[in-house]
Amino acid sequence: MKARVFVAAVAAVALGVVAATASASGQHHQANKLTVWLQVDAQSGWPDVVAAANAQFAKDHPGYTVDVQYQNWGDHLQKFDATLAGGNAPDVIEMGNTEMTKYMAAGAFADISSFKGTFDNSATWLKGLAASGIYGGKLFGVPYYAGSRVVTYRTDVYNKAGIKKLPSSLAEFTADASKLAAANKSVKGFSPVYIAGTDWYFAMSFVYDFGGSIAKTHAGKWVGNLDSPQSVAGLTAFKNFFNATSKASKTSDENHPAPYDVYSQGGAGSIIGPGWFSCCVGAKFKSTTAQFVMPSHTKGQPMPGFLGGSDLAVPVTSGNKALAADWLKDFISTGSEKSLQAKGNIPNATNLLGSSVNERAAARSWFVPAAKHWVDVENGNILRNMLATILKGKLTVKQAAANASDNITLVLNGS
Amino acid sequence: MAIAAETKEWPRRHRRLTWTRAGRGAVPYLLILPVIGVIGAVLGYPLYSLVRLSFQQYGLFELIRHAGVSVGLKNFSSVLHDQVFWHTLLRSVIFTVANVAFTIVLGTSLAMLLLRLSPWVRVLLTSGLVLVWSMPVVVAVQVWYWMTNYQNGVVNYALTQLHLGDFFHHDWYASTFSQMGMVTALIVWGALPFVVVTVYAALAQVPGELIEAAEIDGASSFRTFRDVTMPILKPVLLILTSLSILWDFGVFTQPYLLIGQAHTSPGNFLMGTYLFEQGYIKADFGRGAAISILMLFIVALLSVYYVRKMVKLGDVE
Repeated sequence: MKARVFVAAVAAVALGVVAATASASGQHHQANKLTVWLQVDAQSGWPDVVAAANAQFAKDHPGYTVDVQYQNWGDHLQKFDATLAGGNAPDVIEMGNTEMTKYMAAGAFADISSFKGTFDNSATWLKGLAASGIYGGKLFGVPYYAGSRVVTYRTDVYNKAGIKKLPSSLAEFTADASKLAAANKSVKGFSPVYIAGTDWYFAMSFVYDFGGSIAKTHAGKWVGNLDSPQSVAGLTAFKNFFNATSKASKTSDENHPAPYDVYSQGGAGSIIGPGWFSCCVGAKFKSTTAQFVMPSHTKGQPMPGFLGGSDLAVPVTSGNKALAADWLKDFISTGSEKSLQAKGNIPNATNLLGSSVNERAAARSWFVPAAKHWVDVENGNILRNMLATILKGKLTVKQAAANASDNITLVLNGS
Repeated sequence: MAIAAETKEWPRRHRRLTWTRAGRGAVPYLLILPVIGVIGAVLGYPLYSLVRLSFQQYGLFELIRHAGVSVGLKNFSSVLHDQVFWHTLLRSVIFTVANVAFTIVLGTSLAMLLLRLSPWVRVLLTSGLVLVWSMPVVVAVQVWYWMTNYQNGVVNYALTQLHLGDFFHHDWYASTFSQMGMVTALIVWGALPFVVVTVYAALAQVPGELIEAAEIDGASSFRTFRDVTMPILKPVLLILTSLSILWDFGVFTQPYLLIGQAHTSPGNFLMGTYLFEQGYIKADFGRGAAISILMLFIVALLSVYYVRKMVKLGDVE
């Protein structure tokens, strides 16, 4: 009896677990179709660039079609893993530059070194961005575009608060923020500078500005470096700046809500984020919105910003590698990159760079440690947790940074 | 005695096994074969793969090559030596107990309420419950999140307007306890309709004359519930409880989406989110499989008690 009951229980549970874990979609390779995964940014920001590349590709390869499928940052890697297992991975995939190393190390991408000469401006690619697509000296990903982080602000609110000159140091910005707060007392919950509590991209800028870093290598091993005095000074400056300027939830992230939504509803005088944030500030504030470079604590310098960006790679499972490389050539052509630049992005090569606020902000930038397991630090929310703990005052900056640092050491060394 | 005598009179059957007879005897098995085949394919094979996976080192590298490396019990021992696993297990058990208790108690109370309502109100309440039931989980999570969000949540606004305190910019997701509270509210809300409708149907089986008799004998309404209604409800409540345990222990969608990927951490894992984080986000599928098999056994142990009770009840009747 006991055994029967146990078996019955196991069977019932198994049904549930299997139903929850089994999910696969059938999709077969077609010889004359190229499947491309791009992030939704392209769908909302530059569908014309995608269409132009597809048209060029169709012209060069009559009879071939390009099927562009748009993905979300939140779950595109899990979907990609599933398609790798199922043998129906796309022919081209867009990857965040912080996501590349783990996949290159696992051998997920095809070596496209031999096609390098066919890509426009490949000799002058942005060094930092191009480096994220190289592993063991081979080219696995081509740089697509980069983005720096800038301050998007309301000129009307700044004028009303009597701010004549844009801040050129962190101290000036903090002083301006209190003027903004005083001038907008009537707006409930108004943030002079809206910063999500766990926006680690912005918080780490303070760390790098004060000479700290997330991690460094020592004797062939990664060592978390957030507990260094410089890093702690940066985190403390972030905490002070947040408390002085932002009314955001201390546990919120920079996607929920999107800072530009808070801004477009009149809840913020300025927001921090990618240059393309100007897209979505709302019709009401469109004409009174401008951008400037986030100032460093050292007067006259920009604060180092996170140089985000995307690469494009060809999964090793693709049956059309040469064709995929050919589509890449069309998609990252000089013409495409110039269109991307016009939309507020940083193009992939130095000879295309202009002097927009975005590009000036990129003059000083930082990037995540180039470690195979970095993406686990990112997705494990180690930095976000640390920031929430610091802002809520549960631990001192030093304690929280030490905990996070130990954790980062463990994860980066692959345990 | 009479029966014994009768059985003695039955002739003992000695019939030879012939091909026709063997064929006829096989018919039921043949008929059931397709079903066994389908169940085997749908349930057995994935389960077999899962078990095999749990004994392998299977990460991104192996995934691309479609070949795992056998590592014996390493995945299991690494999970069992992981502090996070034990903390998560404890949290999940407490979470499950709270969710199941709220679901069953509130559901039963609502079902009792339904009995005493005027037909109109009953129809209204029932339609409300059916609406809850018909709402897809992901949609429900989005609505719930929208109502409780920090910037302009409707709940925050309503509570402030009702002068229950200042809930402007109140962060419902600030602490683990509060996060779990929100998830519990959402899960119980979503689970109520099934419990209410089922218990209501069971309550209809309670003979009115028994209740009446108890009342005439001067039993209090609590006493009547305990001694008259409860014994009849018991089998149904047992089934509902064991099903709720199964659902709530392994729950994933609600906590993962409501708390959000950017906020999940070892400090607020439930078994479902822990499994997802270890297996999928970290792309360590072997370890993920080991966790899901451990979960399987834990839930089986948790529900054994209830299934046994159910089987016993069935034996008596």
